[in-house]
Amino acid sequence: MSDLLKTMASSVSGMAAQSARLRLVSENIANADTPGYRRKLVPFEQVLEGHGQAGAVRTGKMHLDTSELESVFQPSHPMADEDGYYQGSNVNLMLEIADAREAQRSYEANLKMFDQARHMTSSLLELLRR
Amino acid sequence: MKFDIGILRMANDLAVHAAARQAVISENIANADTPGYKARDITSFSDSFVEAVDAPKAMRPARAGHLAINTNMHKYDIFEDAAFGAESPNGNSVSIEDQMVRAAEVRQQHQLALGIYNKSMDILRAGMGRIR
Repeated sequence: MSDLLKTMASSVSGMAAQSARLRLVSENIANADTPGYRRKLVPFEQVLEGHGQAGAVRTGKMHLDTSELESVFQPSHPMADEDGYYQGSNVNLMLEIADAREAQRSYEANLKMFDQARHMTSSLLELLRR
Repeated sequence: MKFDIGILRMANDLAVHAAARQAVISENIANADTPGYKARDITSFSDSFVEAVDAPKAMRPARAGHLAINTNMHKYDIFEDAAFGAESPNGNSVSIEDQMVRAAEVRQQHQLALGIYNKSMDILRAGMGRIR
C-alpha cells in the first residue's frame, strides 16, 4: 500500500513540475513581442531521499536565457537607436511550442501513472468489501 | 492453527512486487525530463521468487510469544534499465513509451494477483459450504 501511495506522490510531483514549466512557456509566448524580454527557463531536479535514492522531481530556481536579444529594424519605434534598431525578445516561438508539447506529453504520462495507482488501490480495497 | 496457504502468500507477493515496480516506474516518468536521470527497474518477480526459495531459511520464531522476523518484507534490487536508444543528449534515459509498456505489465500482474486471491478465497468459502 505504501508503495502505491509513493507512486501517487511521485506522479503528483511530476505533474506539478510539468505545469510549472508550462506556465513559464505561456509567459514566454505572451511576452514574445516585449522589447528586451529574456525567456525564462526552469531546471528539473531530482529530490534525493535519505540514502541517495531518487524519488520525486521538483523545479529548481528559475533563470533567464542569456542568449542574444533579437535586433529589430524599425526606425519609427520609440526605443530605436540612431541606426533604427531596437532590442526585441529572445523568445523563439518554435522552441516554446516544442517545449509545451513535451510538457503536455509528460504531464499526461504522470496523470496516467496516478490513475493506474488509484485503480490498483481501489481494486485492492475491493477485496475487503466482500 | 497457523493460517498459511501457499497460493495466497504467492498472490500477496505478486501484488507486492507489482506495487513496488509501479513505484519505480512512476519515479521514472516523474523524472522523464530531468537531465542526467537514468531509468530504473526492479528484479522481475520470477527472479526474486527463485531467490526467495533458494535462500537459506530465515529465522523462525520458536514460541508463540517471540517476535517473528518479517520475511515477507521484500527488498527488491533496483538497477538501471533503459530501453535501447532512449538516451537523450542531456543524459536522461527515460523513454515514456517504454515505461508505459512496463506499467501495462504491472497492471496486468496486479490484476492477476488480486484475481488469484479472490478465486482462492471463493474456493475456501465453497469448501466451508458457503458459496457466496
